[in-house]
Amino acid sequence: MACAATSVALCLDPLRQIFLSGVYGLLLAVLFVVLQAPDVALSMLVVSTVAYPLIVLIAISRTRRERGEE
Amino acid sequence: MSWALPLPVVVPLIAAAVLVATGAILPRRVQDAIGIAAAATATGFALLILAASERHDVLHWFGGWHPHAGLALGISFTADPLGAGMAALACGLDLLVLVYSWTYMRRQSQTFDVLILALGGAMAGFALTGDIFNMFVWFELMGVSAYALAGFMVEELGPLQGAINFAVTNTVGAYMVLMGIALLYARTDALNLAQIGRVLGHRPADRLVIVAFALIVTGLMVRAAIVPFHFWLADAHAASPAPVCALLSGAMVELGIFFIARVYWTAFAAPLHAHASGVRDVLVGLGVATALIGALMCLLQRQLKRLLAYSTISQAGTMLAGIALLDPRSLAGVANLVLAHGLLKGGLFLLCGVILVELRHIDELRVYGAGRRLPWAGVLWLLGTLGLVGLPPLGVFLAQQLLYEGGREHGFGWLAVVGAVASGVCAGAMLRAGARIFLGWGAREDELLSPEPDEHAPERDVSGRPLGIVAGIAIVLGLAASVVPGIEARTELAAERFADTSAYRAAVLHGAAHGDAAAHVSFSLLGVDTASALYGLGALAIAAATAAFGLWHRRLPPRILSAGARTLGPPVTVIRLAHSGIVGDYLLWLSGGALAVAAIWALTL
Amino acid sequence: MSSRQRLRAWIAAPVLALFAAILGWGFARAPAFGDFHGAYGDLLNRIAVPQRHTSNVVTAIVFDYRGFDTMGEEFILFASVVGVVLLLRAVREPATGQDDPVASDAIRLFGIIMVAVILVFGLWLAAFGLVTPGGGFQGGVAIAGGIVLVFLASGYRAWRTFGRERLLDPFEGLGAASYAAVGLAALIAGAPFLHNLLGLGVAGTLRSGGSMTLLNWAVAVEVAAANLVLYTEFLESYLVPHLPRR
Repeated sequence: MACAATSVALCLDPLRQIFLSGVYGLLLAVLFVVLQAPDVALSMLVVSTVAYPLIVLIAISRTRRERGEE
Repeated sequence: MSWALPLPVVVPLIAAAVLVATGAILPRRVQDAIGIAAAATATGFALLILAASERHDVLHWFGGWHPHAGLALGISFTADPLGAGMAALACGLDLLVLVYSWTYMRRQSQTFDVLILALGGAMAGFALTGDIFNMFVWFELMGVSAYALAGFMVEELGPLQGAINFAVTNTVGAYMVLMGIALLYARTDALNLAQIGRVLGHRPADRLVIVAFALIVTGLMVRAAIVPFHFWLADAHAASPAPVCALLSGAMVELGIFFIARVYWTAFAAPLHAHASGVRDVLVGLGVATALIGALMCLLQRQLKRLLAYSTISQAGTMLAGIALLDPRSLAGVANLVLAHGLLKGGLFLLCGVILVELRHIDELRVYGAGRRLPWAGVLWLLGTLGLVGLPPLGVFLAQQLLYEGGREHGFGWLAVVGAVASGVCAGAMLRAGARIFLGWGAREDELLSPEPDEHAPERDVSGRPLGIVAGIAIVLGLAASVVPGIEARTELAAERFADTSAYRAAVLHGAAHGDAAAHVSFSLLGVDTASALYGLGALAIAAATAAFGLWHRRLPPRILSAGARTLGPPVTVIRLAHSGIVGDYLLWLSGGALAVAAIWALTL
Repeated sequence: MSSRQRLRAWIAAPVLALFAAILGWGFARAPAFGDFHGAYGDLLNRIAVPQRHTSNVVTAIVFDYRGFDTMGEEFILFASVVGVVLLLRAVREPATGQDDPVASDAIRLFGIIMVAVILVFGLWLAAFGLVTPGGGFQGGVAIAGGIVLVFLASGYRAWRTFGRERLLDPFEGLGAASYAAVGLAALIAGAPFLHNLLGLGVAGTLRSGGSMTLLNWAVAVEVAAANLVLYTEFLESYLVPHLPRR
């Protein structure tokens, strides 16, 4: 957990960062299951591995293209 | 009246959702009317609740989950007169803003109404709630709607930066509040404020309680724009459309201060009882610093919205210092200050919108003398300024008088001097700006003032006059706030109840009637005492001198000018540079301030 | 890194370290990890099933005991999405009739299957929220995720069938409004706001929980619609202007 969180914070490339944060969210979800909080785990799972990365990915693709156009 | 408690929150929120659902079907005017009707309904219910709460606290247990053997199962709204009064002020300003926006924001997306309604509902919920996590929910809803409103003029890049600074700093503040709540829950197993207070009251505060207190108060101080957490406020105001400024300055900032008082008296007063002076010294110090730095920055502005924003910061400092005295009389003073200031400042911001519509700019040097054709706006500007300086017996005068008396009891008599200087300097800046705009007095150029990006005016076909009427209503109400018969006795009674922790607890957890149903509240007229009147007049004199200096400082002998520049120049430059507009700097100040507050309390409490 | 940023980092490091130290000093007095004995949680675990007939106690807390918080949170999502839409629509270029063909039939087939699977999963999560872990929020996000797969599998044109503001905005508003309306209905009936009016049903079945069922579906609709609005806005304003023109 701690390693994943640190690597998210230290990663400089946004694309890798979003991937790592997805992994981090997945680990967190597993932790919630272990701690007997399946509801929280499900919320974490859907948000951190689906919704959040998707939005950030789209945002990144846009900024890259704009930079490329300039 | 218990049934009415959810309505000031729920009615605006439902209306906001309905506006989104019907966005494609209903014409804009019908939507605006729905929004105004919802805000008016909310205001009406808030006033009803205020009237009912004068006798005793009104409670509403959501879902019908009354506490079970002193254990709160669900969430409560607990309305006492100060909380209900805050809710009524927030709803009332929300209503004025929506009426104002009927023409002012006519060309903008209807999303504006949606967000204003959400902000209004959140503010009412924040004022009424008796549950610390529920408070956090409204704190966040207030935040997200306000961030979006601050970025409303998204076509220009400047506004977006102001909204980003606002969102980032306030999100960090919210994290601090949340962490504090988590600590409290870990200790007390409770989220209801009364229950938290009961559990914490069993023994003196230890480290966990002190850190939780520091985190929650610091987070709230970010929202309340207290130095050194205040930087976002001027940027956010410069970015926001004028009616949004009126809500942010008139109610949202004050709610941050209100909840510091609420959480102190309900939860922390008992465990921190032995260390009240330690709490008091830190908060008075921050309050005084805020009042003075806000006043200084106010003096240096030429963009009217920034000028008024720094005056809000200065007043927030006075409010915090008043609360920090931890004394019911000063608390009553703060309550009156919030009411009068909220209406006056809200009105002045609405007037900025009028100036923008009529004169196309809100930079005092650019519209120099152009306001001569709007004498009525000039009169309103003058009235608002006189109200904010507390010209006896109008505007914030009653508040200053109560604060002065409360401070004297605790050996903080000098606070009244600070208050007079701060409000005098701010009012001086406003008088100077007003004299330049509406009279064309003084120099056309002024190198002392910070050049800031000007604001683009909205479409030309909006008339300033109906907007001026709305602004005028707010300003006149604000002026009259301190001469309402009986308001002094009522707020003092309300403040005593607010600070009566054990009675609050009994009312919430055991359903005891809190408040004296038989208490006779008189409708006596305000008694003006001589010392307070002198302070008020002194502040006015400072304001006049400040304004005269601002207008004609070039006529002073060069020797005096250069000596002044040598002594005052460097510190002023440092303070001015600190307001850099860069969010990274703000976060640094924020963490430094949080560290200082937490460290002082950790070492002394 | 500019010199200003470097200076900031050098000041921030000790400040944050000290702040963290104070936090640690305070947190040390919190109950040890996994050793929290709150009476509130135990009490609810004991009374929720007999009182509320829901075998998922968490849902009973979220939609009943502390259902008012959930209403506030629903409106936080609502207001955030309205805010994001505001910021994105203002700078959006109008979409023209473009399409980005999906290259491979394998992707298309797999995608379509996954859409069905995820949709069913989302509906199941939402529907059984009162019985097993899950609920309207989780189900709503999953449903939105399933629908957005249509874009990935079949391209922009197929996606436009769902991703339209005229279609989605009403759902978003209705989801938020109906939660508050269920609460208001209780108030009008003379009970406290959000009081559970309907029959509680048999614990462990789909028909348990009374008003909570309505609230659960209101949240599911709101969350799914809000997420779809978000995806639509991001796709419209970020992807569409850059798709290869035909």
